[in-house]
Amino acid sequence: MLWRNSLIMVDRETGTFWSQVTGRAIDGKHRGAQLEKVEAIETTWEQWRQAHPDTKLLKKSEEVLGSHYQSYFDDPEKMGLFRAQWLAERMPGKTLVFGASIGPHAVAVTVGALGDEPVAATLGDTPVVLARALDGRVRAFVARVDGVGIVLHRNQANGEVTDASGSTWDLSSGHCISGPRSGSRLESVAVTPVYWFAWSGFYPNTQVID
Amino acid sequence: MKKLIACAVIFGFMAPFPSRAELPEPEVVATIGGEDVYQLLPIGTIPAIDDPEFVSGKKADRQMRPEEPVLGVVIAGEARAYSLWQLDAHEIVNDQIAGSAIAATW
Repeated sequence: MLWRNSLIMVDRETGTFWSQVTGRAIDGKHRGAQLEKVEAIETTWEQWRQAHPDTKLLKKSEEVLGSHYQSYFDDPEKMGLFRAQWLAERMPGKTLVFGASIGPHAVAVTVGALGDEPVAATLGDTPVVLARALDGRVRAFVARVDGVGIVLHRNQANGEVTDASGSTWDLSSGHCISGPRSGSRLESVAVTPVYWFAWSGFYPNTQVID
Repeated sequence: MKKLIACAVIFGFMAPFPSRAELPEPEVVATIGGEDVYQLLPIGTIPAIDDPEFVSGKKADRQMRPEEPVLGVVIAGEARAYSLWQLDAHEIVNDQIAGSAIAATW
């Protein structure tokens, strides 16, 4: 099923409708419930295997030699059953963005805008930062330690991410690993890699960083 | 009760399955927040994987191409990869890692 041009999942136990974009139950017995998001990465088998030599792989029962959605991925005009109705004119609907939200407040950062340097945004009253961890995952955190906002920068020479106090942060975990804020941990905000046409349907007032 | 966790990646509506031309007219089955819910196929037509089996090491390499896209997660130190070419046909894997129920969705 589709809602806002995006997948609705159904659980067999109750028939509740769950939105894949938000993880929230939109109708049925569990309406209003929120699934917790797990940080995931999209990468190639070669890179994943190298980073995680002991990884398990979902077994294939038959040979799969490609994606039968390739033409969907390749065609910029294919984006849902219906015209993406919200902010599709802001940028091409098939632009891949990294979305983060706190309550009704949302930000979308395009892949192109997310280079080496962390990207700062404000969701409502909350400062957040999106950045790529060294393993390639895009992560977001509340950019605040003990009530004080922080700004992160990446040192181009060694790839380390530091704040103005000289503290160094590990973006894969959110931990401060050295410096005055050692031992602190940033609160994580879920990141959703998603096509713009889908994200803008859920968050029509989203900020955009591109 | 085990916690149910969604692990979601790139979405947006995937091309109809099996193909646009063969699809019946979408049916409005509910309206939520003023927006319609459309059903194209009976629930279960795209079969979720319920009892996932896993391989590793060379056995895993033999099933994969180096450039094949995967969704990867690490939970409680355990790494799992799901081929996105394989998920194209199933869209959801109902899995368990370290006592947590997770749904890998694509």
